[in-house]
Amino acid sequence: MEAVNIQFAPATGTEEEWNEAYARLADYFRSYQLHNRIRRTQLILETLRRAAVEHQKDPHRTPTAHSIEQARVMMREWLAVIYSDMNLNESQLEAAGRLGFHLSGGPARWPNFFLDKEHLPKDMAEAMRAAVRTSGPGMQVSKMTPRDMDLGIVSEVAEDTFDRLGRHPILRYSILVSIVGGVLGYLYFLLG
Amino acid sequence: MSMTGASTANINLTAGMPPPRIARTRRATFFSFVGLGTIVGVWLMFVYLSEHGMRWSEWGLLAVFIPLYYQLNVGFWTALFGVWLMNRPKPDPLDLWRTLKPEDLEEDITASTAIIMPVFNEDVTRVFEGLRAIYLSLEQTGQAKNYDFFILSDSNQTSQWIEEETAWLELCRQLNAFGRIFYRKRRKPINRKSGNVSDFCRRWGKRYRYMLVLDADSLMSGGLLTSMVRIMEKNPGIGILQTFPKQIGAETLLGRVMQFAQCLYGPPFMAGLDYWQCGEANFWGHNAIIRLDPFIKNCALPALPGKEPFGGHILSHDFVEAALMRKAGYAVRLLNTNRGSYEEGPPTLVDMLKRDRRWCQGNMQHFWLLFAKGWHPMSRLNFLHGILSYTSSLLWFLFLVFSTFLAATPLPHISAQAILAEQLLLGVTIMLIFLPKVTILLDEVITGRLFKPLQGRLLTFISSMADTVVFTLMAPVLMIFHSQFVVYTVLGKGVRWVTQRRKLDGGVDWAEVFFTFWPVTTIAIVWGIIGWLVSHSFLLWISPILGALFLAIPVAILVSGRASGARFGLFTTPEETDPPSVLAVMNENLTEIKGRIHLPPELEKHHGLLQVCLDPYVNGLHVSLLRRRKNIHVSRSYLDQLALRLIHEGPQCLNAQEIKAMIHDTETVTDLHYRLWSARDHELAPFWSIAIRQYNLAASSPFTHTLAQRETAVA
Repeated sequence: MEAVNIQFAPATGTEEEWNEAYARLADYFRSYQLHNRIRRTQLILETLRRAAVEHQKDPHRTPTAHSIEQARVMMREWLAVIYSDMNLNESQLEAAGRLGFHLSGGPARWPNFFLDKEHLPKDMAEAMRAAVRTSGPGMQVSKMTPRDMDLGIVSEVAEDTFDRLGRHPILRYSILVSIVGGVLGYLYFLLG
Repeated sequence: MSMTGASTANINLTAGMPPPRIARTRRATFFSFVGLGTIVGVWLMFVYLSEHGMRWSEWGLLAVFIPLYYQLNVGFWTALFGVWLMNRPKPDPLDLWRTLKPEDLEEDITASTAIIMPVFNEDVTRVFEGLRAIYLSLEQTGQAKNYDFFILSDSNQTSQWIEEETAWLELCRQLNAFGRIFYRKRRKPINRKSGNVSDFCRRWGKRYRYMLVLDADSLMSGGLLTSMVRIMEKNPGIGILQTFPKQIGAETLLGRVMQFAQCLYGPPFMAGLDYWQCGEANFWGHNAIIRLDPFIKNCALPALPGKEPFGGHILSHDFVEAALMRKAGYAVRLLNTNRGSYEEGPPTLVDMLKRDRRWCQGNMQHFWLLFAKGWHPMSRLNFLHGILSYTSSLLWFLFLVFSTFLAATPLPHISAQAILAEQLLLGVTIMLIFLPKVTILLDEVITGRLFKPLQGRLLTFISSMADTVVFTLMAPVLMIFHSQFVVYTVLGKGVRWVTQRRKLDGGVDWAEVFFTFWPVTTIAIVWGIIGWLVSHSFLLWISPILGALFLAIPVAILVSGRASGARFGLFTTPEETDPPSVLAVMNENLTEIKGRIHLPPELEKHHGLLQVCLDPYVNGLHVSLLRRRKNIHVSRSYLDQLALRLIHEGPQCLNAQEIKAMIHDTETVTDLHYRLWSARDHELAPFWSIAIRQYNLAASSPFTHTLAQRETAVA
């Protein structure tokens, strides 16, 4: 990363818009668990500086959108250096890279080197790479197929009956209603 | 018997399978008593009923009486044999613990074991804190290196899924257990739990000699886990070894009563079951170890004829797997365990009934298997007992209906023989119901197996009296519901696969209780009026049952409440007074999490979704775990449209399927992260504006939202 220039005077966009972009970036970098406020401020200013340049080229997009995009670009550039030898595609690089930083304890151990591609501590890069290499146990595929089961003659008859009843719900409920009706009728007969 | 994959040389390959001579003798003895008791009861009933010849309603009464009395006898004799086994001075020759010699306990375990935990929308905190406690307990034995843990998720709620992923990652990080604890999520939960386990077996089964199956609420000590593997190694004839999981963690009256009852009466029943089941015991689906090679070869489940609920996919897979394992020539054994194997029970009566509805359907399906060829006769009997455990409620209901008919058309019983038969039958039945309980209670009071101090034994005695009242009030209600479940299953009304609630989140849901139980109260009122019209003495006879039905709503509220007599020392179990270390560790962590500050309810509800969209690490984790999609079944523009709605209108405007479609797509998940952060405040739904402002304040680490923060990395 280039030296931080604390002078910030964007040529385009309103103060309100840039303030909103600032607040959003502050929240965004906090979500990386970077508790070092000075480092966070450095990152915010650097990102805003880059975003201001881009906003001049494309003022239709908001400063907030440009800022988050620049944060993403910085992240990709940084991760590309760390994982240069691991043959990861763009989507894997971003996802696995962020995860690698977390798993290696990056936010607590190397907060000052977050997104700093030029002063990468060797142990940090190695820890981040090691975190991504861990994967689950290799599959050893086995066959598990059900064996035929002879359910016997009773099941066949029952299956036919249930199938028939299943196809004729009216018949099924008629049987039920006749049973209930029979019981109630008998009760009426007894009480009468 | 083929023993592929087992390396236990120079020992008897049938070790663990009880000798047929002993098994035959035991069953002959046991079923002679059961048969005798049933015949005596049925004969007495027949003598009583047939005084004036048998009418059809009397034949009906006798017909339903036979299986009911058989079942009563099985329970009675199982308990009595159990008490006898627990007290006889000579050790049981079939006791599996005796196969382990002191030198075996010194040897290193070399067999590879996968501890698997299938989960479906379960409480993430409970699942992973339970797993942590088991892992740490196993580490303490010094034998953990050959055990791997697998969380096999079928969760279909997005937030649950993401929280499982983050909890897994954090647990692995805290325990330094990457490469030891694995998380796998199925995209399509085919064939539910049994499909989940089969999927594991197909993918990784060959790597392991044993598979230890846990439920989402299971807890097992490291000591027991290692002992189980050692027993399996010493007894290659055993295919499935089932422990007796004791209930823990209950907070409601119902939960604590069930927990207490299981603790007091469970061990003798288990000992009795082990006595007559021998090598043909049952598998209960969890807290059991399975020999994987024969399981993979022989225990894949076929679909049953017909459609669900009676046919189709097998719901209660465990009984069938046990029968298939036995059919393949391997023993299925019960392991007598007093400590080390635990589970949780349903907190309320409504939850218990929901669970029973599923179990009922599962057991009813086994009807097809009763007549299948090739089963061991005991496996067939196990199926029959499973079916009877629910149909007996319907039989009891019919018994009462026939009794009502008979009361309406009374014929005087004047012969001395009939009166004597009636009195004897009443006496024998009361004995069959209460003697096991009295015997077990006396055994406890004399031996102090649960509690050595006299006060503990006295409280156990009082608690036992109190649980009789609770069970007496609940039994008729369960009868009505179980009868209904049986009828529903036969009529083709199936049940959905739903998550089992294991804790009472808030208070009792009075509306749910009222709408569940008002028909039961109505039945009691109608039946009471009929009884009054039929015969006053009959009404008096049936009044305990009708009274319980009438009180169903207040009883359901009472037993589902948290006032459980704990402060008076009632229904106390040793696990409450002296929790084993594995339970103490879990409880301590759960307490820590419970005491945390929570996000606003709306954010808590969608917390997983919120994290995967906003948090760069959780987003990275999720995308890393998603497998690359080969075929996109939904168009990119559709996913974009959903993403826009999610950003502008919030998660509440999308249904679960729409959210799932987005979260399954790596590109959409990555894009969502940046699009949300890039949007201006006024473009965001209020949900996201609040989430962005509050997210960083809620937790110091996004991964510890559902887990305790314990940096206890094990070397």
